Amino acid sequence: MALNTASEVISFARKLEEDSAGLYETLAERWPAAEETWLSFARENRKNIVQVERTYYGVISDALEGCFAFNLDADGYTFPAGLPEKTGYSDALGQAVAMEEKIIRFYSEAAEQSKSLMADVPRAFALIARKREGRIAALQSLPDR
Amino acid sequence: MAVLEEPIKEVLELKNYINGEWVGSESSQILDIVNPTTQQTIARVPMSTGDEVKAAVEAAREAFPDWRRTPPLARVRCLFRLKELMEENFERLSRVQTMEHGKTIDESRGETRRGIEMVEVATGIPSLMMGYSLEDIAAGIDEYVIYQPLGVFCHIAPFNFPFMVPLWYSPFALATGNTFIVKPSPRDPISQVKLAELIDEAGFPPGVYNLVHGGADAAGVLLEHPDIKGATFVGTSQIGRDIYKKCGETGKRAIVQGAAKNFMVVMPDVNIGGTIPALMTSFFGNTGQRCLSGANLVIVGQDDAFYRKFLNAFVEAASKIKVGYGLDESIQMGPMQSPDGKERVLGFIEKGIAEGAKLALDGRKPKIMGDYPEKCFLNPTVFENVTPDMTIGREEIFGPVASVMRAESLDAAINLVNASRYGNGNAIFTSSGKSAREFQYRVESGNIGINIGIVAPMAFFPFSGMKDSFFGVLHGQGRDAVRFFTESKVVIQRWL
Repeated sequence: MALNTASEVISFARKLEEDSAGLYETLAERWPAAEETWLSFARENRKNIVQVERTYYGVISDALEGCFAFNLDADGYTFPAGLPEKTGYSDALGQAVAMEEKIIRFYSEAAEQSKSLMADVPRAFALIARKREGRIAALQSLPDR
Repeated sequence: MAVLEEPIKEVLELKNYINGEWVGSESSQILDIVNPTTQQTIARVPMSTGDEVKAAVEAAREAFPDWRRTPPLARVRCLFRLKELMEENFERLSRVQTMEHGKTIDESRGETRRGIEMVEVATGIPSLMMGYSLEDIAAGIDEYVIYQPLGVFCHIAPFNFPFMVPLWYSPFALATGNTFIVKPSPRDPISQVKLAELIDEAGFPPGVYNLVHGGADAAGVLLEHPDIKGATFVGTSQIGRDIYKKCGETGKRAIVQGAAKNFMVVMPDVNIGGTIPALMTSFFGNTGQRCLSGANLVIVGQDDAFYRKFLNAFVEAASKIKVGYGLDESIQMGPMQSPDGKERVLGFIEKGIAEGAKLALDGRKPKIMGDYPEKCFLNPTVFENVTPDMTIGREEIFGPVASVMRAESLDAAINLVNASRYGNGNAIFTSSGKSAREFQYRVESGNIGINIGIVAPMAFFPFSGMKDSFFGVLHGQGRDAVRFFTESKVVIQRWL
């Protein structure tokens, strides 16, 4: 599914953040040893939603290219929303890393496409992409179980 | 994507807001307000009687002395409260605009944001309204100027930005100590009613802000009324000229913003990829129903390959625009606001064909996302081989139609722009600073875009205009608005 308008890109970003927060909360329940890490990611996801929406609602204007700033394929960034019951710890970690890579790619490509078209919005996207890059290292450094 | 929830669930019976009260009209003339996408009636609006309009003027006149004496800091506290209420109701206000006008949700949110920005800037009145002084203009004599409000102002609103345009004026009028009457467009008055509800909640004293519904008759009563000190209007140049004349005859101040025929000039050194989205927004945003829309696309140079490459990119992008209900987040262009507007655009397209322009993209048979009646819908249309003497190259179409022209050089392009009777929002797309400066310097236009397709000034800058696009001296927004809504009083004092 193509994402062309700022409104649908913001809604899609919200969905990615909520779905990934959901995954981290599931991980925290199943593997409480790293609970603080998982839950901190989930909390940060919700802050990301606030940051993206605040930026969008703060700058959207009739003069910006809000309806024409994007050409993203949503299917390229989607990931399984939940964690199958029998998933092992290593596979779960792998799923989280894969998910983060997709979300980083979404934010990076959205930022690039809307650069100089959507005022502060691409900067907010790029900032979140950079923050999330740190998560991959954090996920990979978690002790194996 | 699913359609966002509609905030209007039942047919609204709209009332006037006079002297702090919602008042039903005695008028027997009631118009249906129809959602241009679904064709469902969402409200009924009265065409107020002359006495009802006069009652609003009387309320505003009576409220003026107390409001004028209210300290500027206290006045802007009402605006701060209004701003908070507008933020709290941001999404609802935006969706109402989409329902009554047809524009996309991104466009409606943009309109809401712009409206809020006007209120924000007007809260700076304690600084913006300050006068100035000089002591000892002669020995022992000092002189100073103070800015004072004048009384009752009115605004006659257009349909294309039903929420935002009245806010180009009202926050500045109120903050400077004047009282105000808005007459919304009878085609889409609901968002002004929703705004007035928030103004009521914000705690403005009765009579300071008033809303009366109606059409040309109501506007006529306002413009004739001796207690109205000034009027602001946005609409066609023909009506605007009449209003300006009427204001001159009755001694009123006036800001009159008229029609446009904006040229988007594309130089051969342009960044094509970066320019196309700006041009899509310019030509097809708000379904072409705005005075800052691109109308004529002028491709500069003698290089046929560049011309063809640019035109193809433009037409391809226009052909992919998703048309449908603006509450569907994936939609890039909504319907025309009314069937009349659509018919008018179709008439221009027929004229374009008859006068010899070539259709590069025909939007007459709309392809709509979703199951909606075709009644107000069009798809983007692009003509090439348009000349400035053709009707479609000369007159404001006010719809999603682009007329493509060629110019041999920047000089020729500037001459094309300046030959137009309008001068509202013209733009150049180039990577050359020299070309941009030349364009900015020579083009007769109130607003100039350099790699910007919609040259909409921010709230702290004037919304300018030249030639038949503007009648008046001072403009709406920013410091111009502060000056428009105040009179300079000069005091020279000597103490013996």
